[in-house]
Amino acid sequence: MNNRLKVLRAERDWSQAHLAELLGVSRQTVNALETGRYDPSLPLAFKIARIFDQPIESIFSED
Amino acid sequence: MSSVEDPKMSWPVRIGGLFFLGLAGAGVGYLVGGRMEVEDLRWDDALALVIAAMLLMTGVILAAMAAMRSSKLPPACGPLQALVMLIAGGLMVAPIWGPNLASPDVVFIGLVLLSLVQSVANLMLWCHADEMLRRVMVETSALAFWASQMALFLYAAAERLGLTGGVSAWGMMAVLMTIYLLASAVASMRRGLH
Repeated sequence: MNNRLKVLRAERDWSQAHLAELLGVSRQTVNALETGRYDPSLPLAFKIARIFDQPIESIFSED
Repeated sequence: MSSVEDPKMSWPVRIGGLFFLGLAGAGVGYLVGGRMEVEDLRWDDALALVIAAMLLMTGVILAAMAAMRSSKLPPACGPLQALVMLIAGGLMVAPIWGPNLASPDVVFIGLVLLSLVQSVANLMLWCHADEMLRRVMVETSALAFWASQMALFLYAAAERLGLTGGVSAWGMMAVLMTIYLLASAVASMRRGLH
């Protein structure tokens, strides 16, 4: 699965640590999400969408 | 921006940290090795000691990371991971080295108590972990179970066929821990945890 997490985070000038804090996960998890090494659970995907104020499908897309 | 950024470690601090870790490792190695007949060491004891050293080293590194780079790990997970690793290392050393300090039954009681603490720490780690760390723990367990089961089956079959034999339960435990460590490394690297 692809995602625009890195772009969205950069647009807001947030660090990985800050996003991790907002999501309640570790910085390693944010890094793994951004690099495509980990696909989030549905609850975490919803949380990401809520934080960036965008629909899930505009953040995550199929390969 | 957040206030949870970790401070950058300077090179002198990094080199000093590595030097300290090396010194601590050499000290522990001297203390443990000095009380054992290394020439008479069986292969299972040697493997258990290597695994114990790796677990203890990982525990010390995790403890240092938890102290200096706490945002890299889920809250409370760093100290718990370090504790789990250090206890696991102690559990692997104690049956070999413990009788130098106390009688075998006292050592065994200590091992039972340590195992209980280890189980509670593992449970707490699971509760505090975020979803990716839990996924890594589950994948490690699955991979280690699959590989251990296959190794045990092949050994048992070879023993039944009269081709081999004589591996003690302690030897099997040392092999199991080796497999577990390898599985943990593979599962962690897949997620970029290294």
